Amino acid sequence: MTNDKYKILNWLEVFAIAAWGSLMLKYWLTGKLNLLIHPDYFWLVISGGIGFLSVAGLKAWQLLRQRRVLPVRHISLLPPGFSSTLLLVTAIAGLIFTPRVFASQTAMQRGVTDFLAATRSQPQAFHGSVKPEARSLLDWVRTLNVYPEPDAYTGQKVKVQGFTIHPPEFPPNYLLLSRFVITCCAADAYPVGLPVKLPEARQAYPPDTWLEVEGQMITETLKGKRQLTIQANASPKKIPEPQNPYEY
Amino acid sequence: MNQQLNNAFTLFLSLLVEAMPFLLLGVLFSGLLLLFVDERKLIAKLPKNPLLGALVGSMVGFLFPVCECGNVPVARRMLMQGVPTPVAIGFLLAAPTINPIVIWATWTAFRDQPEIVVLRVVFSLAIATIIGWVFSVQTDLRPLLQPALAAAWQPKQQSHKDRLKTSSDLLQSGTFWLSGSGDPIRIDTSVLQANLAAATPIKPLSERLRLLLDNTIQELRELGSVLVIGSAIAALIQVFVPREVILNLGGGEITSVLTMMLLAAVVSICSTVDSFFALSFASTFTSGSLLAFLIFGPMIDLKGIGLMLSIFKPRAIIYLFALAAQLTFLFTLFINLYVI
Repeated sequence: MTNDKYKILNWLEVFAIAAWGSLMLKYWLTGKLNLLIHPDYFWLVISGGIGFLSVAGLKAWQLLRQRRVLPVRHISLLPPGFSSTLLLVTAIAGLIFTPRVFASQTAMQRGVTDFLAATRSQPQAFHGSVKPEARSLLDWVRTLNVYPEPDAYTGQKVKVQGFTIHPPEFPPNYLLLSRFVITCCAADAYPVGLPVKLPEARQAYPPDTWLEVEGQMITETLKGKRQLTIQANASPKKIPEPQNPYEY
Repeated sequence: MNQQLNNAFTLFLSLLVEAMPFLLLGVLFSGLLLLFVDERKLIAKLPKNPLLGALVGSMVGFLFPVCECGNVPVARRMLMQGVPTPVAIGFLLAAPTINPIVIWATWTAFRDQPEIVVLRVVFSLAIATIIGWVFSVQTDLRPLLQPALAAAWQPKQQSHKDRLKTSSDLLQSGTFWLSGSGDPIRIDTSVLQANLAAATPIKPLSERLRLLLDNTIQELRELGSVLVIGSAIAALIQVFVPREVILNLGGGEITSVLTMMLLAAVVSICSTVDSFFALSFASTFTSGSLLAFLIFGPMIDLKGIGLMLSIFKPRAIIYLFALAAQLTFLFTLFINLYVI
């Protein structure tokens, strides 16, 4: 291999690593990081981004100062040019495309109806005294986990936000109000949700519409199962997709 | 379709963004420790009893947090320096899992299921110790080693002088700088270990830091691209394989374990970040099968077999593979059937 080729390979490495550093920092700066990972780990990604950029910067500085590039031979499974290019291309793809939040289709695919009212994590704190209408959708599901008898909540006021899902097996004036919960990153996002009984047909609220539903709790039998259900007072209010669509 | 591609890409990116910082940390940490810790002093203190040796060897990873690419050169040099076989085998199999960074990453991914973190450590330790112990029966290791290594291998603990002699450049592979005079200067992990840790006074700090930088970049590039491929496979399986297929495979006590072991062997994802890969299967696969992935992957996978061929003849790798696979299968099946 010629000296020039080594130089190109070296610079390719620098660009690939720098691109990954920029990608991580870009997601943080544009506020898109919360679509990908749990806020607890933001600092990790930010330091990772700075780390990648520093490594790339140091190597670039070294390459610029070096008069003669020493030929490097590394016994590796993937050719160095290939692995650098792969890293660079994925980072650039990440810089161009914006990750999108999961929607009802994913929720159905991940079995939202199986997970109804079942969270994987144990509640970190349980606020029994919280006013029912102050509970989020996830709070409700967690409360239900602790005490699953739907009748216990009958008549309690509800005000929750989420996106809509139309499970095919629900009657036409019922929909599922759902949120994704993540514990680490989007890879483990799982949906929770509660059925909503609407005063009208659900066609007015196509899947993936974000709604704020006000009403009170009732018990309904859906899919042959007694199920805590939100009886909507009036037509639910359409809201824009929240800045942070996940719950934790 | 468009939506599905988008989901796959989001999943792919989220795995990578979460995993890359751990990868950097793992690479930097192993590089740094190799620069500043003298492993030879440690080796001299290792126990001679086969079972105890295998156990201690399995835990040496805590002091040398190497990924599964770093452990092979270290294990090879251990054997060359006359470290008892059970210790070296225990280290080879357990070091990628039993180290603080991997345990932290596993904890990050499986905060909700702490039993996965604990069982990963316990089972990896147990399996590595058992296999190390089994290999202690073979007192003469030479028939199992590659010829070049077998020639250097000595059954007993060598004197310091001999050890210096066997750590010649002849038998070491890895990265080389071909300097003007034609003398190769090695610059990867094994170089750091062999040249720097052993010959600390010879190289100035600036030189060592430069080697550290080069080592970091090459490992990031190599392991990072394997991570990219692994994450792409995970994302594509999640999004494009029909849910019924995944649920059928992932729900069965036996099929789920076998599927995840096969995935572990093929995907070859680095142990520092493999827990994030497993996480994407957490809702559909049994806990035992996730454990099987996390235990088996770091011990044996396609990438690792390539590296292990630098130590062992294929026969020995088949023994290692068969033992590790059977033990992983039995342990995790037990978990599936009786525990979780």
